[in-house]
Amino acid sequence: MSYSGCFHCNEVIPKGSDFSLDIEQEQRLFCCPGCLAVAETIIDQGLGDYYKFRTAPASKAQLVPDQLQLVSYDSAEVLADLTQNKNDQTQIELSISGISCAACAWLIEKQLKKDPAVYSVSVNSSTARCSVSWDVKQLKLSDILTSISQLGYQAAPFMADQEEAVQQAELRRFLKRLAVSGIMSMQVMMLAFGLYFGEYTGIEPQFEGYLRWISLLLTTPVVFYSAKPFTLSAWRAIKGRELNMDVPVTLAVFYTFIASAYATLFGIGEVYFESVCMFVFLLQLGKFFEFRARAQARAATGNLLKIMPVSARLVQGDELIPTSARRLEAGQVILVQAGETIAADGVVLSGESSVDESMLTGEYKAVSKASGDTVMAGSINHDGVLKVTVHQALASSRLGQIINLQQQTLNQKPQIVEKTTQLARFFIQRLLIIALGTFLAWYFWLDQERAFWVTLSVLVATCPCALTLATPTAITCALARLNRKGILIKNQQVLEILPQLTSVFLDKTGSLTQGRFSILRSELHQSAYEEARLLALIARIETYSEHPIARAFSSYLSTEIKVEQVQVHVGSGLSALWRQDDGSSVDVKVGSAAFCAVQDQTAAAVCCTINTQLVLSVELSDALRPEVPALISALKQRGLTLSMLTGDSSAQVEEVQHQLQFDQVFKGCSPEQKVEHIQQAVAQGDKVLMLGDGINDSPCFHAAHVSVALDSGTDLSKNQADVVLLHNDLHLVQQLIEGAVLAQRIVKQNLWWAVGYNLVIIPLAVAGFVSPYIAVIGMSFSSILVVSNSLRLLKP
Amino acid sequence: MSIIYVLIPIAILFVCIGLGIFFWAVRSRQFDDLNKEGMSILFEEKKQNSAQTDKDKQPPQ
Repeated sequence: MSYSGCFHCNEVIPKGSDFSLDIEQEQRLFCCPGCLAVAETIIDQGLGDYYKFRTAPASKAQLVPDQLQLVSYDSAEVLADLTQNKNDQTQIELSISGISCAACAWLIEKQLKKDPAVYSVSVNSSTARCSVSWDVKQLKLSDILTSISQLGYQAAPFMADQEEAVQQAELRRFLKRLAVSGIMSMQVMMLAFGLYFGEYTGIEPQFEGYLRWISLLLTTPVVFYSAKPFTLSAWRAIKGRELNMDVPVTLAVFYTFIASAYATLFGIGEVYFESVCMFVFLLQLGKFFEFRARAQARAATGNLLKIMPVSARLVQGDELIPTSARRLEAGQVILVQAGETIAADGVVLSGESSVDESMLTGEYKAVSKASGDTVMAGSINHDGVLKVTVHQALASSRLGQIINLQQQTLNQKPQIVEKTTQLARFFIQRLLIIALGTFLAWYFWLDQERAFWVTLSVLVATCPCALTLATPTAITCALARLNRKGILIKNQQVLEILPQLTSVFLDKTGSLTQGRFSILRSELHQSAYEEARLLALIARIETYSEHPIARAFSSYLSTEIKVEQVQVHVGSGLSALWRQDDGSSVDVKVGSAAFCAVQDQTAAAVCCTINTQLVLSVELSDALRPEVPALISALKQRGLTLSMLTGDSSAQVEEVQHQLQFDQVFKGCSPEQKVEHIQQAVAQGDKVLMLGDGINDSPCFHAAHVSVALDSGTDLSKNQADVVLLHNDLHLVQQLIEGAVLAQRIVKQNLWWAVGYNLVIIPLAVAGFVSPYIAVIGMSFSSILVVSNSLRLLKP
Repeated sequence: MSIIYVLIPIAILFVCIGLGIFFWAVRSRQFDDLNKEGMSILFEEKKQNSAQTDKDKQPPQ
């Protein structure tokens, strides 16, 4: 087999590693112990079919997460907050990350159903949700979560927001309406063919009447049930003395239907039932695809629970009681272990650790905390164990405030009147006046008999089908095009605003930069060792640490190096014994300069000593994403004003500014200040795009016209953003803008065609030269032209 | 030709039954995840067939 990546996740297998497993008499290689363990579980459970039928590789497996974090879900209080009880069954919704195709859903269902205590499991592969009902007396929630994580997925309890439940119901209604209009269209079209042939070969009047009556019967549910959303929207618009795009749609549907019904009733004129059905069906189909794309985008980012800490451990005397984070009160003392999220705002009572507050403040370096320091809910404890006195409940914590702020800004989103709506308004008014004028002119002065049919052909010929299809089809195709590139768009107005963009605000930490440490440079002090080998040694030792610095070395990891007796010294470093190839052991220390007892290494973040001799010093920094400079210069070429907006106030801001030359830099901003800066720009008339990733950026998302979040960002930011980039590649921002410009060009072409065609046909129809049949052909032709033009967007 | 007076109502009856079943399927959440249900037919194969399916097995992408 020519393919050489990891059998499980298809990523490159690092050199020197040796993870292999015999699967069905064939040796398979893996990239890491995580993937190997997952594959072993899958094969041992007899679920090997997964590898046969999956359509996308799995995501790289993490080693089983901290058991402690999962066990805290088992407390009765936490469970009560997360689950619903029905008789003996407990039901929970989980959101699962790492689902890449339908086979994953099957795998998880099979695995969970093996346990007799589980009554039912249903995994939805498109929204990455799993609903489990089980007997809580026989099986703990943490066991369920663990068994999912053994398959290489991360599961977390989920609570759907209100909006999502509404969307689910809406999706089902869409399907039903689509089915009615689709199936009825087929029937009516079939009957219409009978009528068409009857025109040419002759048809007995009683059969013609019969086919027309049946068509009327079949079209009625399409007009009154399937087209209901358009009718309602049009009605609301008219009640508010407005004209929107649904008004002409509804008019077109109803006047064609009523004219046809009239013709059927009195046996005169023509019927257009098939046109009514097809028109409703096509419009519904477009709306449905658009809705589904947005629903998927929402579902992918909907888990708000992941941000709010769920559980905490309460210290009472010598005992630790797991409890729900939401029920913490001021004055209580909680214990926070390494790697856990701090559950409430408070003051450190005892213990020492470094804490990552980057999601809240934008500061990328971990802040060291000792007793007496304040800590914030939502920040992550890195290495030490902390006892924290709770100051205020979770809802009024800094995290709670930011989420509140963002709820407030929700309704302040700058609105832009859609251009097509304006056009529709203009066009429909004129059209109705012309139709009325035509009717009056024919009725009173020209030919009383023909007045109704001439008016009808004016209305049919100018049917706003092409006009109404012009924008939605182009938007739907543009959404699909961007979706394929990994850009999820949740708010379709974005496509209309982007071409007019004038200003871009970018967050620094985590958006422009990678949001984690990487090695800037390293200096070798002893020529007896190789630099690469030492980095591998450090990487090996650092695997024992939870500290974010440890991750900077992970790319150098190699399993050839053997270390023993690794000890973690909180807040300073690690020490270990390195068993070298010749069998001798040496003392190794990795950590801060003070810990390693070396001088003159102030710039270095990590030093490494062997037998107290300094061998290597490493400088770390939060490096820019590699594609950033190219993106910035491309954006500048578009003539956009670029601003950097960051909560960080360190010297790194100047460094980035020096490198990238922004037009404006705002540093040390609180979330409130960030919102202010953007609102100022909006007030000056700029069309603003905001790119960010943190919880502290999410309030700004509503202040800006367009907000973009990265996949690596927090769930809150992804939840609130208009656009989510599914790959951590900022080039996508440029592609997003280009895609929007292209979509706008197609919309313009469509509108020109639709308006132009109408301008030609109206005088002819008013003069009575266009028979209703020709009007239908013209209408269909221009609709097809518009749809095909939009489909060009789907070409890569 | 008068047979169409009988046949078309029968056809409409079938259409109504079909729509009824579709509505029921939507209501019982069978359309919430279209990908999974499409794949499910592949997984219910019996084990003894696996030797044969091995031959046309695709390498993981």
